Amino acid sequence: MSSAVLEQFRAVGRDLFVAGAISSHGGNLSVRMGDRILITRRGSMLARLEERDVIETGLEENDANVMLASTEINVHRAIYLGTAAQAIVHAHPPYAIARSLMCDEIIPIDSEGSYLLHKVPVVHTELTAGSKEVAELLPRWLKEYDLVMLRGHGPFAIGHLLEEAYQLTSVLEMSCRIMTIADGLGEQVREYRKGSERYETW
Amino acid sequence: MTPPASALRPLRGLRLDLSRRTCDEEQLPAGVARAWLGGRGLGACLALRERLFEVEPLAPENLLIFAPGPLTGTGAPASGRYSVTGRSPLTGTVFDGNSGGNFGNALRRLGWDYLIVTGALEEPGYVTLGTDDARGEAPAGAPEPVAGAQPLGGSGGATLHPAAGLWGLDVPASLERLRGLHPGSEAAVIGPAGERGVLFASIVNNRGRSIGRGGLGAVMGAKRLKGLVVDGHGRRTPPVADPERLEFIVYEAEKLLKSNPITSTALPEFGTAVLVNVLDQAGALPTRNHRESRFEGAAAISGEALKREHVHRRSACRGCIIGCARRTTAGGESGEGPEYESIWAFGAECGVSDLTAIVQANYACNRAGMDTITMGVTIACAMELTDLGLLPGGPRFGDARAIIDLAEATAAGEGLGAELGLGSARFAALHGRPELSMSVKRLEMPAYDPRGMKAQGLAYATSNRGGCHLRANMLGPEILGIPKMVDRFATLGKAGLLINIQNLNAVLDSLSVCKFTAFAMKEDYFARQLSAVWGEPVEPQELLLLGERIWNAERIFNLAAGFTRADDTLPPRLLHEPVPAGPSAGQVVDLPPMLDEYYISRGWDGGGTPSAAKLERLGLSEVAAAAGVAPGTPRAEGTAAR
Repeated sequence: MSSAVLEQFRAVGRDLFVAGAISSHGGNLSVRMGDRILITRRGSMLARLEERDVIETGLEENDANVMLASTEINVHRAIYLGTAAQAIVHAHPPYAIARSLMCDEIIPIDSEGSYLLHKVPVVHTELTAGSKEVAELLPRWLKEYDLVMLRGHGPFAIGHLLEEAYQLTSVLEMSCRIMTIADGLGEQVREYRKGSERYETW
Repeated sequence: MTPPASALRPLRGLRLDLSRRTCDEEQLPAGVARAWLGGRGLGACLALRERLFEVEPLAPENLLIFAPGPLTGTGAPASGRYSVTGRSPLTGTVFDGNSGGNFGNALRRLGWDYLIVTGALEEPGYVTLGTDDARGEAPAGAPEPVAGAQPLGGSGGATLHPAAGLWGLDVPASLERLRGLHPGSEAAVIGPAGERGVLFASIVNNRGRSIGRGGLGAVMGAKRLKGLVVDGHGRRTPPVADPERLEFIVYEAEKLLKSNPITSTALPEFGTAVLVNVLDQAGALPTRNHRESRFEGAAAISGEALKREHVHRRSACRGCIIGCARRTTAGGESGEGPEYESIWAFGAECGVSDLTAIVQANYACNRAGMDTITMGVTIACAMELTDLGLLPGGPRFGDARAIIDLAEATAAGEGLGAELGLGSARFAALHGRPELSMSVKRLEMPAYDPRGMKAQGLAYATSNRGGCHLRANMLGPEILGIPKMVDRFATLGKAGLLINIQNLNAVLDSLSVCKFTAFAMKEDYFARQLSAVWGEPVEPQELLLLGERIWNAERIFNLAAGFTRADDTLPPRLLHEPVPAGPSAGQVVDLPPMLDEYYISRGWDGGGTPSAAKLERLGLSEVAAAAGVAPGTPRAEGTAAR
């Protein structure tokens, strides 16, 4: 693995933890390299990634390294095989998770979230972490949206680069914080975005 | 809500056979549109189907496939484009170029999704479609038409006109005369360079909008076809299944374009020349035939200087809110451009910092209908030969007058210009130093030094039409941070990103929309626009798969034409001569491991041939077999990340 790729993993992992978007051992990251995949090690601490914490294995074929890979590897593989993703960030941001417990889609009310996300579908499965059900469900949604929220678990974001997927994750969490603050103010939100009523059709 | 009726329909085309003097309607199934879109994709499909890899580029059997795309003329941002595809006389590869302006829109308004030109005329002529004369009506108030116009046989409704009085005219004069003869129409023409067979001659519409680079203008000249004239004025706009949905997506897309600093500020204010200073500061501005990567005269030839000294107004292609084009004046003349790459080719690459001379050399190319990048780089090659004492009396680096004179001599086929008209690869070989041609597959590389942006080297080496930044430009991720900044000096780990950009660009060229929109928009926006136009679901993933199909089809064409891994390389200078100074000092391109990673990521074997599984997945197995390309042998072990 090149040092440049490792540095991308380390930077995003560290920032996710510092931002409070994961717990000490939560979340996982991966990038696609053709028919290979680089993914964080099962039980690794994303804030403290070393070279041994980023595992290379096959995209479609298993090898011995699969034993070390994140428990979500099958979800990551399915996403790569079913979408245009080159990188995946999965985190557990608290405001977004809380919001996902109350709705079927998250439509940001702030400018940045509206601009970048328009709408985030919230999907749910009986089993969450690493399940076959999730692996079947998420690619279908991620074909149309770069970020999808798994209810009660956390968002899966895709991009050409890790940083891109991380940005979407970060924007979602900020949007959900803003919505929570706005809810707490108890006032009617005044609309300022032309055409926002159509965001639910995005 | 009732879903809109599908507007995805069979592709309506014309086959204009100049040898037989016929123009017949034809049709391709809707499935072809779904698999190849239009524009470049349709061109690649037809080039393979018609076996152009077996055809001599300047023979009558070579085709020129004119094709707008499914978004052309629909109101989608920056979508007023069309492509022309054929086999290039410069590179021998499959070759497409695309151009903005109004020509593609007019063709689409006439109801045609493509136009194939085959054969050759015995005497120079031009062909009209949809004009008054083609309908048997004399245009009111128009100049006296050239005598001898005759309707072509077949159902296409085309008319052939003698080009007497046109042949020999330069591009602006040709376009002006045709506009006078056929008011309200749009024309695509060649200039003297195309007539004389300059191997990098262009096809030009709207004064300076060119199908450039690979010499399809020379193919048109070999067919003795001076121009195509299309009158789509007042005709129907192309069908859109869900106009309300399209309006919503376009509104959201334009929000991105209007807020992105590149598409909303830099390009509108300075044009593409805004990149001169950016690339120079990065140490990625090739200078003096790529000997160096910084130019001491960069500020004098920058976009800022161009705006200050030469631009008198902005202009834009139809339906574009970016408006990157410039109308300029220099030396008492006015015209369009120059673009960044033209400024660089005549400027830094030739060691010239006289911006007025650069603008005038650009005008000379526009008048003649010649590619500015190849012209400038070929002159730079001559300058290095002179510097080495191998071209007595030849031009010297920094000679501003020489770039104008040699461009004009090349168009006229006079003196050294006759040799320069072959392009730098043939020219350098002629003088015994082929390695001094800064080209890939005989197409001159443009203004981004791969030693300062390593993945750009891989992009050039693997480009299906040769050294070109329009197949994939790593300027975004390696210099501008779009979608995000990556380490520009890193060798490995960027193949997947490059492949995605190559695939996406194949989609944009097939839709046909301007690539500048991708500075602000991701693939999902294009999928949503196409979905609204067709009235059928289109996923971003489907578009990228389609782009991958086009890329592999072009690869199959080139393999069938005899290209191999050995052609996926860079000039020795970039592989072995470190940059002498500046931010990229000491850098060379370590290409072999990048190429290995790229082939693996593409699903190709070590020789660069798509595997059976890859061909199957892309629906290209039969196409490859018909072209005589056997599937590649799968590799034994994955080493993509090593």
